[in-house]
Amino acid sequence: MSLKKYLLSAACLCFIILNGYSQKNKTLRFHSINQLGLLNGQVGSAFQLQTVNGIQYKTWFAGAGVGLDYYKIRSIPLFFDARKEFGKTNNVFFVYADIGINFPSATDKEKVYLANEKYPNRMYVDAGIGYKLKLKNNTALLFSAGYSYKKITEQSYGIVPPPYGSPPFDSFDEIDYNLERLSIKIGIEF
Amino acid sequence: MRKLLLNQSNIGILILLFIFPTSCLKDRITHTYSIQVPVYETLATARANMKSGPATELKTIGKVYVQGNYIFLNEIDKGIHVIDNSDPSKPVNLSFIKIPGNEDIAVKGSTMYADAYGDLVAFDISNPLHITPKKILDTVFTDRFYYYFGPNISYYDNYTTNSFNPDSMYVIIDWITKDTTVNYNSYPIMYYNSSCPSCAVVPSATYYAAANQNTGNGKSGSMARFAVVNDYLYTVSNVSLHTFDVSTSDNPISASNSNFGWNIETIYPFKNKLFIGSSSGVFIYDIATNPAQPTASGQFSHARACDPVIADDKYAYVTLSDGTKCGGYSNELDIVDATNLTNQNSLFKVYPLTHPEGLAKDGSTLFICDGKDGLKVFDASDALNLKQIGHIGGPETYDVIAENGLAIVIAKDGIYEYDYSDVNHIRQLSKLSVN
Repeated sequence: MSLKKYLLSAACLCFIILNGYSQKNKTLRFHSINQLGLLNGQVGSAFQLQTVNGIQYKTWFAGAGVGLDYYKIRSIPLFFDARKEFGKTNNVFFVYADIGINFPSATDKEKVYLANEKYPNRMYVDAGIGYKLKLKNNTALLFSAGYSYKKITEQSYGIVPPPYGSPPFDSFDEIDYNLERLSIKIGIEF
Repeated sequence: MRKLLLNQSNIGILILLFIFPTSCLKDRITHTYSIQVPVYETLATARANMKSGPATELKTIGKVYVQGNYIFLNEIDKGIHVIDNSDPSKPVNLSFIKIPGNEDIAVKGSTMYADAYGDLVAFDISNPLHITPKKILDTVFTDRFYYYFGPNISYYDNYTTNSFNPDSMYVIIDWITKDTTVNYNSYPIMYYNSSCPSCAVVPSATYYAAANQNTGNGKSGSMARFAVVNDYLYTVSNVSLHTFDVSTSDNPISASNSNFGWNIETIYPFKNKLFIGSSSGVFIYDIATNPAQPTASGQFSHARACDPVIADDKYAYVTLSDGTKCGGYSNELDIVDATNLTNQNSLFKVYPLTHPEGLAKDGSTLFICDGKDGLKVFDASDALNLKQIGHIGGPETYDVIAENGLAIVIAKDGIYEYDYSDVNHIRQLSKLSVN
């Protein structure tokens, strides 16, 4: 099983365990946050989708998230999410921070190299502030904005033909993208 | 209502946060790639160093030549490893001869012929531990005229205006691979041409690996460009066939040079014929009438591909493989009527393969290196109905020399030796690894 599938399976398992545990323990409450948004940076704008599932304890929340990030090179971030709410009213500000691994899933159009390319997993970070608008039945609308970073590395290995009589040599070519984006999301929590 | 307005203003703040700092964000891009830096030496120094030295590790192995108990193994453009193969289960890497620009080897008696860029060098190998050059023919291989003119190390491209002086000419003796990292402040235009790794994803040894040829002196390969037949050394360049008189073996003399075809790759002598492989077909040259001046006697055309060729009394066996160097899309073994190659209907049989490279035939046993698919062994007693009788998976094979129950297989990761005295139970004897 690939690492990507393993981690996704692990995230689903966490989701089920946390959900069951929170139903037994009233001070802890399971929440699922599902967001879509825009990422805006030097190469333009792109969509993102996320689902974060975890446990809320008073004003603190911790969970695991997975998403789709279409900025520059499509990728699947898998991350740990922590957030803290401020305020005692129904509608509150919050700060959040995500850190995790980014699994590239480049489309053919996005690839620089034509063959023998590799996309190792790299870091994913997202942090910002948001506003939570509580609706009925423990449901809330979430608006957030923050800084998002993902690193993408494109690698290619091959044999370069001999220049001027030299032997062909093993070649290594790598492009590192350190992508800084502004992230805005709208989501629903239940 | 007041609450709602408050909420709206909060959302507005978030939107402003989004719009404001976008221009402050800059992606950081770094590009890391390999470059090759040449190491030069004067031709005079390079020639002075062309002698046996301490054994070195196998790195980028090329053609191989077997002579008696010794294996002469080309280290591409660096020189020749001398390997004592008295005991095929324990081959010993004896010594290394530095020969910048060497890619081909042939042997007659106690004389080894090797190219050194454009030069032909005759070595005395009577004592394999003390190999020395006996004669150097300057710039006989004009397609490998890789000499540089000091002190600015510019390409020595004007032979007529620069006298041939080994003290003032330079050759490349090594290439140092360096990783270079470039930082970009903005997005570069990523344009890849021949320096792009993706443009050439063929194993390096496929350019050079050798298969079998029977010269009556030793064994080298169907991808070899050198072949000795009796008193003549035949060499092929990209477009020409060069003949050297080696009746006095340590004193080769240029006898003739004729241009023909294009993309010539290999030469394989069989009896009074030379089978010459090109990327578009096989040429047969007759050397019975006048061995100093071979004459064309047949031709077989095939789809564009790399094509080492071997032959027996009836058939020529041609493996076609695709790849960047030769182009084409064929991966097959063609069996051709070798007795009448003037006939365009001489193709007898086609066998599909994975990525065939070098091949060898010993009696009715045919060995084919099928790239990543390993070594395949066929019963070729009926060429029109080959039967696969063995398959050695594992090594990514490029070439094989088979003789007297011993198969020497060139693979990406080293040289393997197999005992095939019982073809139904082929067993590995040894491996000399590439480091």
